[in-house]
Amino acid sequence: MSDRLRAVYGQLLAVLFALAIGAIIILMVDESPVKVFMTLLRGAFGDQAKIAGTLLQTTPILICGVAACIGLRGGMFNVGIEGQLFLGGFAAAWVGFALPLPAGVHMLVGLAVATLAGAAWVAIPAFFRARYNTNEVVSTILSNYVAVLLTSYFTIFLFKRPGGWSETPPILPTAYLPELFSFSRLNWGLVIGLVLALSVAWFFRYTSKGYSISMVGSAPKFAEYGGVNVKRQGFLVLLVSGAVGGLAGGVETLGVHHRFMEGFAPGFGFDGLIAALLANGSPIGTIVTALFFGALRSGSLLLEVETTASREIITVIQALIILSVSAQVLMKRRGDSTAGERRWKF
Amino acid sequence: MAVELIGVTKRFGAFAANDDVSIAVRRGEIHAIIGENGAGKTTLMNVLFGLLQPDEGAIRIEGKDMVMADPAAAIAAGLGMVHQHFKLVPSLSVAENVFLGMEIRRNGLIDHAAQIEKTRELSERFGLKVEPTERVSLLSVGIEQRIEILKVLARGARIIILDEPTAVLTPQESRELFQTLRGFVAGGMTVIFISHHLEEVMEVSDTVTVLRNGKHVATRPTAELTKADLVRMMVGRDVSFARRRRERTAGSVVLEVKNLWARDDRRLPALRDASFTVRAGEIVGIAGVAGNGQTELAEVLTGLRPASHGSAVLKGRDLTTQSPAQIREAGLAHVPGDRMVRGVDGGASISANLLMGRQTRAPWSRNGILDWQVAASQAADMIKRFDIRARGPQDTVKRLSGGNIQKVVLAREFTNDADFLLIDQPTRGVDIGAQESIHDEIMRQRAAGRAVLVISVQLDELLTLADRILVMFNGRIMGEVDGDGADSERIGMMMAGVEAGAATGGAAR
Repeated sequence: MSDRLRAVYGQLLAVLFALAIGAIIILMVDESPVKVFMTLLRGAFGDQAKIAGTLLQTTPILICGVAACIGLRGGMFNVGIEGQLFLGGFAAAWVGFALPLPAGVHMLVGLAVATLAGAAWVAIPAFFRARYNTNEVVSTILSNYVAVLLTSYFTIFLFKRPGGWSETPPILPTAYLPELFSFSRLNWGLVIGLVLALSVAWFFRYTSKGYSISMVGSAPKFAEYGGVNVKRQGFLVLLVSGAVGGLAGGVETLGVHHRFMEGFAPGFGFDGLIAALLANGSPIGTIVTALFFGALRSGSLLLEVETTASREIITVIQALIILSVSAQVLMKRRGDSTAGERRWKF
Repeated sequence: MAVELIGVTKRFGAFAANDDVSIAVRRGEIHAIIGENGAGKTTLMNVLFGLLQPDEGAIRIEGKDMVMADPAAAIAAGLGMVHQHFKLVPSLSVAENVFLGMEIRRNGLIDHAAQIEKTRELSERFGLKVEPTERVSLLSVGIEQRIEILKVLARGARIIILDEPTAVLTPQESRELFQTLRGFVAGGMTVIFISHHLEEVMEVSDTVTVLRNGKHVATRPTAELTKADLVRMMVGRDVSFARRRRERTAGSVVLEVKNLWARDDRRLPALRDASFTVRAGEIVGIAGVAGNGQTELAEVLTGLRPASHGSAVLKGRDLTTQSPAQIREAGLAHVPGDRMVRGVDGGASISANLLMGRQTRAPWSRNGILDWQVAASQAADMIKRFDIRARGPQDTVKRLSGGNIQKVVLAREFTNDADFLLIDQPTRGVDIGAQESIHDEIMRQRAAGRAVLVISVQLDELLTLADRILVMFNGRIMGEVDGDGADSERIGMMMAGVEAGAATGGAAR
């Protein structure tokens, strides 16, 4: 337990450090850090509608974060969530406008197809990882570009709504994810994200399979020795991680945009990955970190209205968080006294 | 007196790592400090070297009272410390490493020629053969250690502290190191030598100081002591490493290995045509210098490496075609040689580590759901039964000492009711007291009718335990020796590659 507390404390420190450097940068552009941070806070949590707006931004980050957690816990670094999100988003839209079905069923089929699309997309890097041991980090990163451009191609050349923007026709209302409140577009997607985070956490903690997979993640040679089929688990982990990434896209399409458009939902996949990293791969922790990044995003809308600081300061702070979190990981590694065991290797 | 430590006490919280320790080291002697892991040897040396500040006590160097505020003060006083874990920069040359932080400069730039010259001179003067221009990353551990010693010498040390210097060395390299150390004291320098390897202490030291639980037990001339005396003082009781008494209990064949071949990671044949059997109720030992195919043998038998030829049949099932999970199911328990990599997940709790291999079986798991309560209560039982020194089932494994981590692995594997136990290096890096209890446990497994295969690079251990000893050299089994009345000379010859027949012939002449 004290280990976990120490980990939380470390991550908190990393965030504070990033915010401090962020404050210095804000000072450098002649703006008051206090004012900027207060504006962010007000923009994110100022009133009911703003809180709902924050939660709306949090939803895709949370689902993508859970997708990343599944990968991280199983020892697979899925950096392709952005691409899986795009494909899932497109697939859900296609079901939404091209496949008339009864209400409710329509929405569920849309989400299911989005999930399958995400899994299918990650299956390519996952196959090469399992079969030829290619580095999944590289192949999933690269698959992002292909996914974004592929969905653009579909949208512009195959399924474009006549006239207007580069977007698909709107989906049928039967496929809408119901909204939670009248005053916001906040929808059941948030509930899906929360349930997903809790069930994934439960899965890793309390099931045999979850135990085996997290052992593959934390000590692959130990897991192999204990009889776990490491390659097979790695493949499955990537597949499920990609499926959840696709689901995030489906939720975004059916819950918020009600169509697929070029450049939809930019950066949620990466934000989710950062949220998961900041939470040390814990799905429950990711609820908190996703909320943090959701708040930054939604608070930043007010930033440009009320201060002279650019919205990009948010990106800067995120980058600083990545840096300080990874610096912390490196420092931890140096401090570890695995050296004591090293001398037993011949 | 070169060094006097007077009443040194160092506490970490409530725990006293050193409790009122007083030691006097004469000039020109090799003074060994021995004790089990956690006896306070390293803490004491860190206090002497200014890395830790004592809570009480005084330090005198050459009769003068000193305050070792930091290592710089210790170096200025003529002390030098060679740490257990080397602190070299792999990408730099030998000479650059020796003069790191005290570079010889000319016109503000590093004078590489002078550094190389100076390094060569030191290396010749003290008989520490190195090539100053070579890159450290290309050198062996033994040479790295020489560089560490050169670093200390270059800083003008007259009193040299070595923390477990031989732990990383081959016997050959150790012997060379001892020669160097003798050269040092012959030249009027003083050597303080931390170890828990008793043979070495007997061989090289003039005086021995024994620490136990942070307290000073004795300081005596080595010549007055026997190995048994040292063990008694270190552990606080008698420990016997005499051959275990036994009845002949060998029963039916459990494992039959026939003409087994395997390749190593470089795809070269590493295991060549091995054939042997292991019977129920017997311990078969595999002796050999590390790297002669033992690792590959263990990996093939556990399904972690494919065999290229031959068979290994465990109770009617050929292991060479099975996955690790299937082999475990067939009745294998395996204590791996590299326990931190294969044997445990250091970051996980004892409970979670003890669960490995059982996560899909009742009572640990029902319908795919884990019962952590069962896991924890079983872990608590095993902690008691195997005397694992831990705070409880939730304790993180990497926090335990090496011996206790090994006991976690043994506890898991020995309670699996497997008919065949493969134990690779049972007591590597384990305290003497714990070694004895591990050996007890292995003998109990034998008595319970299990077939046990013990691989060890420590011949003593096999002479203590094994009913039969197979000797491996260059991937082949050179011969078999009966454990009773085994002749270590003869086994040693086979370990060096001399055929069994020839070895006997040589002994006869």
